[in-house]
Amino acid sequence: MINFEYTRVSSVKAAIDVLAKNPTGSFIAGGTNLIDLMKRGVTAPSRLIDINNLPLKQIEETKTGLSIGALVINSDVEENDIVQKKYPLLAMALKAGASAQLRNMATVGGNIMQRTRCTYFHDTAMPCNKREPGSGCGALQGYNRMHAIFGASDKCIAVHPSDMCIALAALDATVHISGPKGERKILFTNFHRLPGDTPGKDNTLLKGEIIAGVTIPENNFIKNIYYLKIRDRASYAFALVSVAAALELSGETVKNVRLAMGGVAHKPWRLTEAEKFLTGKRVSKETFIQAAEIAMKGAKAYGHNNFKLKMAPAAIVEALMKAAG
Amino acid sequence: MDKKFSTNALHFIDRVDGVQKVTGAAKYSAEYDFPGLVYAVLTGSTIAKGSIVDMDTKAAENAPGVLAVVTHLNSPELPGYKKTAIQANVPETKRGYHVFTDNIIRFNGQPVALTIANTYERAVYAASLVKTKYKEEEHQTDLDAAIKNGKALEGNPYKDYVRGEPDAWKNSEVKIEAEYRMPLEVHNPMEIHAITVVWEGEEKVTVYEKTQTLKTTQQNIMRAFGLKEENVRVITQFVGGAFGSAFNTWPHSMAALIGARKIGKPLKLMLARSQMFTLVGYRPQAIQKINMGATKDGKLTGITHEATAMTSSYQEFTEGIVNASRSLYTCPNVTTRYKVYPLDLSQPTWMRGPGETTGAYALESAMDELADALHLDPIEFRLRNYAETDLENNKPYSSKFLKEAYQLGAEKIKWQDRNPEPRSMKEGDWMIGYGTGTGTFGAWRGDAKVAARLLPDGTLILQSGVTDMGPGTATAMTKLASDIFGISPRNIKFEMGDSNLPPGPFQGGSGTTSSLGTAVHNVCVNMKKKLADLIKDNSIFHTEIVHTVKPEDLLFEDGYMILASDHSKKISYGDALKDAGMKQLELLESSDGNPMNGYSAFSYAVHFVKLMVHAATGVIKIARVVSAVDAGKIVNESTAESQIIGAVVGGIGMSLMEEGVVDHRYGRWVNNNFADYHVAVQADVPHIEVLFVNKPDPILNPIGSKGMGEVGLVGFAAAVSNAVYHATGKRIRELPITPDKLI
Amino acid sequence: MSKEKIIHCKNDSCLHEGRRDFLKKSSALAALAVASPAILKAAEDDEKIAAWFEKIPLQIEVNGIAHNLNVEPRVTLLDFLREYLHLTGTKKGCDHGQCGACTVHADGKRINSCLSLAVMNEGKKITTIEGIAKGDKLHPMQEAFIRHDGFQCGYCTPGQIMSAIACIKEGHANNEDEVREFMSGNICRCGAYPNIADAIIEVKNGGYEL
Repeated sequence: MINFEYTRVSSVKAAIDVLAKNPTGSFIAGGTNLIDLMKRGVTAPSRLIDINNLPLKQIEETKTGLSIGALVINSDVEENDIVQKKYPLLAMALKAGASAQLRNMATVGGNIMQRTRCTYFHDTAMPCNKREPGSGCGALQGYNRMHAIFGASDKCIAVHPSDMCIALAALDATVHISGPKGERKILFTNFHRLPGDTPGKDNTLLKGEIIAGVTIPENNFIKNIYYLKIRDRASYAFALVSVAAALELSGETVKNVRLAMGGVAHKPWRLTEAEKFLTGKRVSKETFIQAAEIAMKGAKAYGHNNFKLKMAPAAIVEALMKAAG
Repeated sequence: MDKKFSTNALHFIDRVDGVQKVTGAAKYSAEYDFPGLVYAVLTGSTIAKGSIVDMDTKAAENAPGVLAVVTHLNSPELPGYKKTAIQANVPETKRGYHVFTDNIIRFNGQPVALTIANTYERAVYAASLVKTKYKEEEHQTDLDAAIKNGKALEGNPYKDYVRGEPDAWKNSEVKIEAEYRMPLEVHNPMEIHAITVVWEGEEKVTVYEKTQTLKTTQQNIMRAFGLKEENVRVITQFVGGAFGSAFNTWPHSMAALIGARKIGKPLKLMLARSQMFTLVGYRPQAIQKINMGATKDGKLTGITHEATAMTSSYQEFTEGIVNASRSLYTCPNVTTRYKVYPLDLSQPTWMRGPGETTGAYALESAMDELADALHLDPIEFRLRNYAETDLENNKPYSSKFLKEAYQLGAEKIKWQDRNPEPRSMKEGDWMIGYGTGTGTFGAWRGDAKVAARLLPDGTLILQSGVTDMGPGTATAMTKLASDIFGISPRNIKFEMGDSNLPPGPFQGGSGTTSSLGTAVHNVCVNMKKKLADLIKDNSIFHTEIVHTVKPEDLLFEDGYMILASDHSKKISYGDALKDAGMKQLELLESSDGNPMNGYSAFSYAVHFVKLMVHAATGVIKIARVVSAVDAGKIVNESTAESQIIGAVVGGIGMSLMEEGVVDHRYGRWVNNNFADYHVAVQADVPHIEVLFVNKPDPILNPIGSKGMGEVGLVGFAAAVSNAVYHATGKRIRELPITPDKLI
Repeated sequence: MSKEKIIHCKNDSCLHEGRRDFLKKSSALAALAVASPAILKAAEDDEKIAAWFEKIPLQIEVNGIAHNLNVEPRVTLLDFLREYLHLTGTKKGCDHGQCGACTVHADGKRINSCLSLAVMNEGKKITTIEGIAKGDKLHPMQEAFIRHDGFQCGYCTPGQIMSAIACIKEGHANNEDEVREFMSGNICRCGAYPNIADAIIEVKNGGYEL
């Protein structure tokens, strides 16, 4: 890789300022995704702005829920007492991701920003609209076993790879952002975007902005939760399909439910229609199967990933069954 | 160690190189430092077939720290490359490929430039600046398409084998027909292939190379560069796994040699993990058809085994995929056919259990299918067709304890307790399945030399030019020498990994222990004779009956020669040397290859697998593995057990997750990394119980050992596949069996 | 390539002349030098100066030894250990965080050193496989790996051992299943997994001070 320039910053303001002056620069925190991509030649920032010293490392309970700083490493979130007790879905999803070593490096902000694992995106000798707009989508008619069945376009059928984000999408989290024009926040489900005609953009973060943290509103999804991840080996692999399921039960009745899927779309895929259907229904496998059918509306496969049309609904049912206990 | 061998601690010793390996002191080929060492990075082609029309290396050459960029345009013509490369009368598929000799592109990822710089980072960056323009030609990397439109290779390896009536299965009372598919599989040892080259002038070189064979590597370098034997030294102290990937002297090693000589500095080249998929071989893809028939009472009447595999366009590669079908079972009528298509991919090579593993996957799956059709227990079916002699050549077996292995394994896993009905066993959400598969691999013995030196302090130094990719060759040889020579393993030093030592065998093909062990045996036995000769008139041993001591009068134990008739009379080996005024006792002995006249020799493994298939998601979990192995006499039980465990772990990968994928539109690999090409991780692997029959083979060699590196993998994928059928009632005839195939 | 001034060192105010500006000049010089050995030599000298500009200071402690040196930002922690400090016990198995062979401890936490830049570890304490034995006395985990034959080729072993020690310290070695899950970031192609798990459980139950 090119010998980029390197700057350490110790405040959010400095980080934003340095990036403003270096539009071809990039923030670096854990580095587990960025350095990987730089080694592959997928990206070549002229400057790395090391944000590891920023004071964004707190996990705190607030009046309305939980606040997690962008620079908290994944393993610290996973092991956090409050997270384990009150937001176990998040802990479970985190544990399903990557390896213990990577979870000790990767930060919450970096996890949110991580880019697709699409092999055509990774190989600079192959076409990829995300990496090189206009070069074509190698996956569309290529080896697309890992690829999207929801919300894809003819420009890009890549999927978002995170596990953590699936849980955060399910839990109605909010992303907190700082930028040259001040602070703003955005619902987690609106943070990542679908590829459309501009697959180069993974999310709605604006140029010059930095993720400061996420908040999760308080909820009662404590006992009846499950994060199901189906993959090609028992651990240390990306999801073929994953489901974050959270139920709040009143006796046998679904009082409240959250469902999101991973490995199926360019963003964490929230199953709002299925949630609506399930709310107020009695817990049963039949109901879950109906919910899965609703969730699968509009799904489209591309050949090698045809199996996801069967695996995804099966996973939804299984995750709900597991969550329901 | 622990529970497993607690009965007799002398059955094994800990690895003699263990401390080096657990402290990081063990040096692999990229870990030697020299003053002025420079780094090389290899750039690969981005097309599968065609030619280079233009190369721009200026930007790379001008980048900071760069010493040279070697390409076909400036690579020197090597004496050994001139002749073989362009012989008009040699078919294209046998010409081989010599790095940087022409502008022809034969496979995607073929080396086009070697960039050399004074730091690794600079070499990597400069290599990214090399610009290559290609003229593309239509490529073929798809075996199925090649079968339809292409032409198979011709020649001896592809002649049909027919015993009895051809395709006799057709007339059988009960018969099955099935096609089995196995994808590309890649060795992917943890150590990335690497070489460090140190030239002294242009005629003398030392290389630190990842290799399973010092001698061949030395000869390959000698030939290519036209050097004298004494001027080429190959050092390989440690090999970080190989499984067959390190037999060849691959193009990248030659590129490193060329580059280092060009700039006159010590040079190190370590491939990238992605290049491990294209530059150091892989197990070829194979499509196999097995048609098989039996009488109603389960006697095989006909086997037809057809295998179609692939090789590169420039180098023919064949392996014995269909061979086991000729001899594993007693069947009067066997037909085997083998076809190979050349593709525009890099060269395949031997990979653990080469041929046999591929073939056994099909044969042993088909045996299960036929047993099912016959309503026979799969083990019982195999026993009814047990081969007492090798029908392929009508020779007796040097030893065969396969029956014992069936029995040991079946008892251990409680085979009879399972419900044989498919899809009948459940635990919660999981369907339970049991499966078995048999593996066989040829046993043999090759040439090997061992030098021994006994010192007055009682130390025995053994030397042989062999390398060890992990099985623990030095450990096994130390154990063997300790047993035969009668001294503590602590007093034995086994030195290896240097081509200056007496030539050892290559490491692989399950023949290292047999070949090298024979030489170690011979050197120890003859050393004892020499020692006995030293003390024959020694007064210590004088008794009224004995005046002159003969070797057979003596026990050799704990470093002492002890008079068998009177244990109080003894002398240590060291004192015997000292008394004789000798500084050391030296001996060179060898193993002569091929002692197998009149016999057929094989190792055997029987794998039993218990697995669970999740009914809703298709996820498979291997719950238990019992592997019973007839590998003759076991030399060192702990490392032998580890080798079988390791093979089984490889088998778990092969059956459940490993699949090399090429996008045929580009002729380019799409999963050339450890995130996309899955190998088994810790969480995939249960307890693996290994049982050895542990009976010596009386023919093959004096130590009775048959070899086991390969056989632990052979037949395993079939055991898994058969267990999946037992669990689910679904017959999956394509590896790997990933969740999507079961949903 | 930008023309901005470089800001580096430990705070936000330390300024240097833009390295890129410098390199632009020197590579223009090198481009002129295609045929002339004399100018080539000059460029080589420039190259040394360029190298000085390309590096930034790094303070790092490795196995208890403090290092104060200059390093290019693009040097990964793994290459820094292997190629600059010659601590080759830490292995390169994939260079992309996909195998765990490069596992070291940074301030006590196990990480993949291939995906961390050396300069990102400013002020940190790094422990590698070379730093866990006390003289000739092996670390209990090293002894257990030998006792249980927890390796064959030995290449993944340093990473396995560093990971194993951390696995116990993190509290993730309470039973076999947990060990298997939390050791899945370390690939062993020789397949020594069951023996590795045995070794870890034994050390965990042995009550050693890690």
